[in-house]
Amino acid sequence: MKIKIALAQINPLLGDIEKNREKHLEFIEKAIENNAQIIVFPELSITGYRLKDFTMEVALPANSNFFNPILKQSKKIDIAFGFVERGKDNNIYNSAMYIENQSIKSVYQKIYLPTHGMFQELRFMGKGEKITTFKTIYGNFSMLICRDLFHPSLLFLTYAQKTDVVLGMSGMPLRGVTGKKPAIQETVEKAIDTYTNFFSQFIVFVNRVGFEDGLGFYGGSFVGTPLGKKLAFAGILQEKLTFATIDLEEIYKKRQLFPLAREEDLNIVQDNLRRILEENYGKF
Amino acid sequence: MENFSLNCELVKKFIIEFIKEEVHSNGFNRCVIGLSGGLDSVLVAYLSKEALGKENVKAIIMPYKTSNPASKEDALTAVTHLGILHETIDITKIADTYFKKEKEMTNIRMGNFLARSRMSILFDKSREFKALVMGTSNKSELILGYSTWYGDMAASFYPIGDLYKTQIFKFAQFMQIPKKIITKKPSADLWPGQTDEKELGAKYIQIDSILTLYVDQRKTKDEIIALGYSQKIVESLLNRIKKTQFKRTFPPVAKFSPRTFGLDFLYPHDLGK
Repeated sequence: MKIKIALAQINPLLGDIEKNREKHLEFIEKAIENNAQIIVFPELSITGYRLKDFTMEVALPANSNFFNPILKQSKKIDIAFGFVERGKDNNIYNSAMYIENQSIKSVYQKIYLPTHGMFQELRFMGKGEKITTFKTIYGNFSMLICRDLFHPSLLFLTYAQKTDVVLGMSGMPLRGVTGKKPAIQETVEKAIDTYTNFFSQFIVFVNRVGFEDGLGFYGGSFVGTPLGKKLAFAGILQEKLTFATIDLEEIYKKRQLFPLAREEDLNIVQDNLRRILEENYGKF
Repeated sequence: MENFSLNCELVKKFIIEFIKEEVHSNGFNRCVIGLSGGLDSVLVAYLSKEALGKENVKAIIMPYKTSNPASKEDALTAVTHLGILHETIDITKIADTYFKKEKEMTNIRMGNFLARSRMSILFDKSREFKALVMGTSNKSELILGYSTWYGDMAASFYPIGDLYKTQIFKFAQFMQIPKKIITKKPSADLWPGQTDEKELGAKYIQIDSILTLYVDQRKTKDEIIALGYSQKIVESLLNRIKKTQFKRTFPPVAKFSPRTFGLDFLYPHDLGK
């Protein structure tokens, strides 16, 4: 199956959810005009990133009426976006939502919230615990948020659940300016190259742009494919809507050329994980 | 010595986008710059012109009677080269009116007073020109606190605040700043004969190497000395960092309510922009 995906590399306003919703609707409209079937926004695209104490003031439950105008558009296109979630457990999460044909297919709560140096996420938000694969009309999808992408264990878990397409929704600030590309961009591209090669999945990486308190989010969105192609490069530091047409047939081809998936043995992984947990952490 | 290589093209693009977004998102189109004629303020003027356009950048040149005449000349060279707006305001009368009443003015007191007088004028001019005040501090001087608190440190934002002086020399060449401005000895020009390197006790390449080892690579004092840097210089620089930390933080508020500025009233600077 071929799917046309729109990568919405936007610059959300910090804390202004109404204006950001408008921006989502504009980008969704353009994606529909271009016959895209899915549009993917970056991390916290509805709220902006560096909210600190304002986090609580923009938190919304996933079923809030606020999202109705976006939900309405999902009759024409599948939509994935980021928001601050007021969870059912009264905790706040850095979440991503996938909607299809006016229904919420999945809400993912970011698992690894960086809290060091310039990052303060755990100070204001709770940690998610579950990584799932959900079925869309286009195939099996998973969502990961920013730092999650630097934990190969999470990519492995999506692979183990037979995810075809991972949506990596990010808010990565630029750092490292000695090389040809920003150092962070090199790191992300190398990681995605590796994951798509060994897990034979597609990864749709959508990173935001714009500045918040001196942090400059670099963009550089693209789609990595199992055969090692990079599609729809959005470039850095500018808002942009790019399109990639991916062919899920590539997964089949890759898994026959390089049949790692056939070799994979989850029982061995489980047995060893149990042993490691027992020996090193005293728990099961 | 450490390696200070830089992708100048990338840094230029990044800083220009930063200036545009900071100025525009605050509801402004313009900026003012206190242009001493030194490399840092000239570099900021070059970047601001590229980001905002020459008609939106105004340089304020504020010499004192003891200022090196070459500084003003260099400032005017940059202004002419860029075609930006400018205004010269001699602060001699303003400062001397105060200095005459004071019996024992030291260099430091005079230097601080001059820096804060310039700040006062610059913020007034920013109101007149409906503009933001560009900070011209670099990373070396910010981390050493080698600047006047509420003087030249006062600004809306710092576009070159993450570049060491050693990187600024290279970046300035890339930005095609006139060579004589790049090669002259860095000086705050607060009193005759003052230079940064004389006052800080080492060459910038040494200073910046020690700073990046400590700040960016988190080496300890002993590890830095073991690499062959002079113990005296390392200790003096690290002391400066500690002693000037107050300049880089929000002043403490005595806390007794549930939410207190600086402690647990934590809103981002750029909220709603």
